[in-house]
Amino acid sequence: MKYVTTIGEREYIIEIDDERHILLDGVPYEVDFDSVSGQPVYSLLLDGQSYESYVYSGEEGLQVLLHGTLYPAVVEDEREKRLRAAAGARVAERGEYYLKAPMPGMIVAVLVNEGQTVDKGDVLVVLESMKMQNELKSPKPGTVGRVRVKSGDSVEQKQTLLSVV
Amino acid sequence: MFNKVLIANRGEIAVRIIRACRELGMQTVAVFSEADRQALHVRYADEAYLLGPAPSRESYLRGDKIIGIALKSGAKAIHPGYGFLAERADFSQACQDAGLAYIGPKPSSIAAMGDKAVARATVAKAGVPVVPGTEGEGSLHDDELLAVAATIGFPLLVKATAGGGGKGMREVHNLEEMPALLRSARREAEASFGDGNVYLEKLVEGARHIEFQILADTHGNVIHLGERECSLQRRHQKLLEESPSPFIGDDEDMRQRMGSVAVRSAQAVGYVNAGTIEFLVDKDRNFYFLEMNTRLQVEHPVTEMVTGVDIVKEQIRIARGRQLRSTQENIHMNGWAIECRINAEDPYDSFIPSTGRITHSLLPTGPGVRVDTGIYPGFEISPYYDSLISKLIVWGETRAEAILRMRRALEEYKIVGVRTNIPFHQNMMDSHRFMGGQFDTRFVEERFSMEAAEEGKTTRPEIAAIIATLVAHQQTQRAAHIIQRGERDTSNWKWLGRWERLQR
Repeated sequence: MKYVTTIGEREYIIEIDDERHILLDGVPYEVDFDSVSGQPVYSLLLDGQSYESYVYSGEEGLQVLLHGTLYPAVVEDEREKRLRAAAGARVAERGEYYLKAPMPGMIVAVLVNEGQTVDKGDVLVVLESMKMQNELKSPKPGTVGRVRVKSGDSVEQKQTLLSVV
Repeated sequence: MFNKVLIANRGEIAVRIIRACRELGMQTVAVFSEADRQALHVRYADEAYLLGPAPSRESYLRGDKIIGIALKSGAKAIHPGYGFLAERADFSQACQDAGLAYIGPKPSSIAAMGDKAVARATVAKAGVPVVPGTEGEGSLHDDELLAVAATIGFPLLVKATAGGGGKGMREVHNLEEMPALLRSARREAEASFGDGNVYLEKLVEGARHIEFQILADTHGNVIHLGERECSLQRRHQKLLEESPSPFIGDDEDMRQRMGSVAVRSAQAVGYVNAGTIEFLVDKDRNFYFLEMNTRLQVEHPVTEMVTGVDIVKEQIRIARGRQLRSTQENIHMNGWAIECRINAEDPYDSFIPSTGRITHSLLPTGPGVRVDTGIYPGFEISPYYDSLISKLIVWGETRAEAILRMRRALEEYKIVGVRTNIPFHQNMMDSHRFMGGQFDTRFVEERFSMEAAEEGKTTRPEIAAIIATLVAHQQTQRAAHIIQRGERDTSNWKWLGRWERLQR
């Protein structure tokens, strides 16, 4: 199986021959790879070199935390890579943005109204969690769509608070 | 004399206090909220009683219920820990009125130091230098604060009168932005402490935050246990502490001068038990009294590591009317200790709090390492309480050895289920300015970023790429497997036979 894995600007071609053998940009390596007691912590022995890392799954791919450095990674097989090339660049700041609660908590203040225009970086909502007030900002310029919460509301993680069109 | 102690707190500090009680042969009583039934302090204590629903206001802040539980369980003493009811004179008084020993200072000392405006006026009278601010003026209204702001000068800080830990604190750069910042500070202070009063204080730039631990017994003995360097903060929350301070270093004269001022501040309010005097130190080595914390501090372990004094046990002995076990001459600082506060916060996403169930935890061990924590695999980190989940403390003969030991301990420490700020600490241990001791209270916010810290560091993106690919490959394989699960590998008759045998 052949994958193209992108970390930052750099693309790596990684071929998985079988459980024990891979090619990294054409160079063969012997691997022994396993998760630690079923957790998203992985132990990699690469030609005898030992590495341990956390791997988080995110919306935009995987995040690898290795030796205190976080590497966002996008792993695609050749078919996916071709599809994406055909579709053009990824949807960046286009389309509707839904502001979701990054953690459970209580809405302290909703600082915008429906129909209001906002700039990138404007504070939309103040959410209190773990005794800290967290300012949730707009990642893009646009117009505030439907506001679904008011101050004093308790919200769950990932609950949609409002949208920016 | 008491032999049973109620611990009016939760998390790592409740566990810490239970350990001290056990080692002294005392019985322990835990209290807990509905969110904390599974918490470690409940499991470790000899007795445990439910306080109420998860929000602090209905549980850990219910002093009346806590005193009721103490009386019912026969605990003759209450240890408040830090936060919650610690530093509440009315609670200390209520304990006294109920005939319970409060393991901490007298109500009058808490009141004098607790209202920070009164505190500054009191120590100023004892000849201790203070930072300019609205000292001794009580609780002012917004218009009065706005009027006085100009005379103090900008930048300045709005701070919660009942506060601590950066809650209800705002930095103000001009008069125009001040009304809005006052409102949000009062709102946060009200939510955290039930008291929306605030005061103003001049912001000392390039300042270092250095504090002195003191111990005072009921026989009039007051000693200090040297200093702690607490300058590494983010939004006025301490992140990392060490003892001694690299800024004071081997300037023994400065250490003794600050220590004796700390002792004098404590004496000014007739202080008894453990307390901390916080100083701001400017780059010319002038120091100013900032505030006194009339309680056990989060960062007390670094002092314990270098002095060998068990501060919590000493607190209990003092409350039992004993004399201090050490005199000032016996206190020596040996080696170097560093503490990293492990918070459930994502350092890669503006330190946003992270909640969830701890699914896996591997503690660092080995020489010179101490972990104070209240979490374990299976425990749920809820949004109701603060994000401190663990304290990692190391000791080394020298600062350099302590840093190297902290690096290896951070690499060993694995917590899965929530995001933690461990990578932040790892980057801090690699920072040249940190290693050189060149930092002030603004360092984390203004000159340290996770991205910049990683520049020039040896990175292994190709290893990360291999790991990501192998994980993605496994996930694809497993997904393919789940689709095929309907197809049993044996005949249905055989399968039924096994099923029936299971049911017998």
